[in-house]
Amino acid sequence: MNRTVVDTSPAATPAAPSPSTTPKPPRRSRQIRSTTPSVTRKAQTRLGLVLVAPLMAMVVVFLIFPLGNALYYAFVDFNGINPQPPFVGLDNFVELFKDPSVWAALKNNVIWIVLGTIAPLVIGLGLALLVWGVPRGSLFYRIAFFFPYILPQVAVGVVWGWIYDPTRGWLNRGLELVGLGSLGTGWLGNPDTALYAVLGTAVWATAGFVFVILLSALRNVDTELVDASLLDGAGPMSRLRYVILPQIMPVFLMVTTITLVGGFSVFDIVFIMTGGGPAGATEVLGTYAYGNAFQLNRISYGTALALVLTLLAVPFAVWLNRLQRRLSLQGMGA
Amino acid sequence: MSTSGTTLRPSRQALLGGRHFVLVLLSLLMLFPLVLVVSTALKTGDDVRSNPFGLFSSISADNLVTAWTVGSFGDYVLNSFLLSVPSTVLVVVLSTLGGYAFARLPFPGRSIAFYLVVLGLLVPFFTYMIPLYFQLRGMGLLNTLVGANLVLASTGLSFGTFFIRAFFTDLPTEIEEAARIDGASEWQIFRSVMLPLVSSGAGALAVFTFLQNWNNFLVPLLYLPGGQYRPLTTGLYLFLGGRSVDIGPLAAGTLITILPVMVLFIALQRQVTQGFLSGAVKG
Repeated sequence: MNRTVVDTSPAATPAAPSPSTTPKPPRRSRQIRSTTPSVTRKAQTRLGLVLVAPLMAMVVVFLIFPLGNALYYAFVDFNGINPQPPFVGLDNFVELFKDPSVWAALKNNVIWIVLGTIAPLVIGLGLALLVWGVPRGSLFYRIAFFFPYILPQVAVGVVWGWIYDPTRGWLNRGLELVGLGSLGTGWLGNPDTALYAVLGTAVWATAGFVFVILLSALRNVDTELVDASLLDGAGPMSRLRYVILPQIMPVFLMVTTITLVGGFSVFDIVFIMTGGGPAGATEVLGTYAYGNAFQLNRISYGTALALVLTLLAVPFAVWLNRLQRRLSLQGMGA
Repeated sequence: MSTSGTTLRPSRQALLGGRHFVLVLLSLLMLFPLVLVVSTALKTGDDVRSNPFGLFSSISADNLVTAWTVGSFGDYVLNSFLLSVPSTVLVVVLSTLGGYAFARLPFPGRSIAFYLVVLGLLVPFFTYMIPLYFQLRGMGLLNTLVGANLVLASTGLSFGTFFIRAFFTDLPTEIEEAARIDGASEWQIFRSVMLPLVSSGAGALAVFTFLQNWNNFLVPLLYLPGGQYRPLTTGLYLFLGGRSVDIGPLAAGTLITILPVMVLFIALQRQVTQGFLSGAVKG
C-alpha cells in the first residue's frame, strides 16, 4: 500500500524508469476505458483471466477452502476420523472460555506481546539511531544486526539452549564471572524463568528486523530539523522525542503492529525450545491449540482456539493500521 | 545513543570513533551465538567432551562428517532444496502473472479476486493449518513433496502478488502504449516489455521466498509426518529431541542448516532486506 513510506534503498525502484520523476499516471481503470479500443480491452480481459487463473486456483484451494473448513470445524465435534461430525454450536467456544489452561496460555501470550513488542522496539530503535549517520561500515552493522532474524528458528533454539544450559551454559558462567553466580539457574527448566528465557531469544532474533526498518525510516528524516534543534540546544532525549520520533511515527507504528500481532500467533520458538513446558510455564495459545489438535485429536477444539487467536489479533491490527495511515496522510512519514 | 546527529563536524570525529567502538561490540554480542555454532561444529570430539559449550581449541571436520552421514543431514539438505526450490518458483511465477493482471489488466471479478488474495495477508497460517491437514489427507497429498510444496507456495502467494503488483503499478503507461502502437499483442507487451522491467522485484521476491521456505518449520512438521522427505528444520528438531546426542554433531547439523541462509544473505543482503522491508509495509 504505502510502500513509499519505507522505500529508501535504491534497490526499491526497478532499474529503468524512475517513478518519482515521472508524474503519476491517472488511475488504471479509467485510463483503459477512455483511451483503448474495445478490441484491445477484450484482449486484455482475456489475458487478465488467463494470468490470474492459476493464482486464484491456488488461493481458493489452499487458503479460502481450508479457512471455510476452519469455521465449520469450530462448530462441530471433529476427532479426525468421524466423516460426519455432530454439530455442537458454540460448545467449543464455551469450553474455551471455561478452560483454565486457555487463560494461563493467554496470560503468557499477553506477557509475550507486551515485552516481546517493547524490547525489540527499544533495542531496534537504539541500534538504528547508533548506525544512523555513520558514514562507513553501516553495511556490516546491517548484516550483523539483521542476521539473527533470517535464521531458522530451530537453529536459534539450539544455540540458545546451550547458552541457557544450567551447568556449563554461557549465561550462568557469565553471571559467575561478574560475581552473580547465585542468580544462575536452569533457565529453560525453571518454571519461573522459562517464559522469559524463550522471550529473550525471540527478542534477540527480532530486534534486527525492527532495526532495519527503522534505519531505513531514519534515512527519510529531515536532517535540517535535527540540526536546527541542535542549535536550539535540545538534548538528545528531547531531540528524539520531539524531532526524530514524530517523523518516523508511521513506520514505527507499522513495526509495532507487526511485532504485536506476531505475539498472538507465536509458536515455532516456544514449541522448539520448551514445547510449552515445564509444567505449562511457557504454554501459549498457539502451542495449546497445536497440542489439542495433533496430540489429543481434539481437532475442533484446536481449530476454535486458532480462530479465537486470530479474532483477538484483528482489532489491534486494524487500530494500529488506522493510526499509521492517519499519520502518513498528515505527511509525517515523508 | 548519546549522539544521533547526521552532519559531521570536526569535533564529532572522536564521538564517531566511540560510536563505532560501541557498534562493533554490539555486533559481536549479536553474532556471538553464531560464533558458538561454528566453533562447536568444528571442534574435535575430545574438545567437545571436555568443554562442550566453550569456544574451540582444535579444528576438525569429524562433527560435520558425523552429522552428514549418521545424522542423515545429507538427505535433509536435499529435501530442503526439494521443498524450497519448486515452491519458490511457483510463488514467483504465479505472483508475477497475477500481479500483472491485478495491476494492469481489466477483467471481471478483479476486485473480489484481489480481496481473496489479500485475505492471505491478514489471516495467519495458524488459523487454517488444522483443516488443511485433513484436506491434504483427503487429496492424497499428505506426506508428499507435491503437497508440501503447494502449501509452502500458497503461504507466500498473497505477499508475492502484492509485492510484484506494486512494481507493475509503478511502471508508466506510455511504455505499453508505445508497444501497442507498434503492433505488439497483449501477451507480447507483458512478456517482452513489462516483464523485464520488474525482474529486480521478482529477484528480491525469489530470494525472500526461498529463505522463508527454507526456514519453514510448521509446514514440514505437520504435512510431512512420515519422515522420508524431512528437511533440515524438522530434521534438526528431531536431532535436538534425541537428548543423548553429542553436542558436536548437533552443532554441525545446525551449521549445515544455516549455511545456505548465511551464504545467500551475505551475497544478496540488499534483496533480502528489501523483500522484508516491503513485506513489512504490506498491511
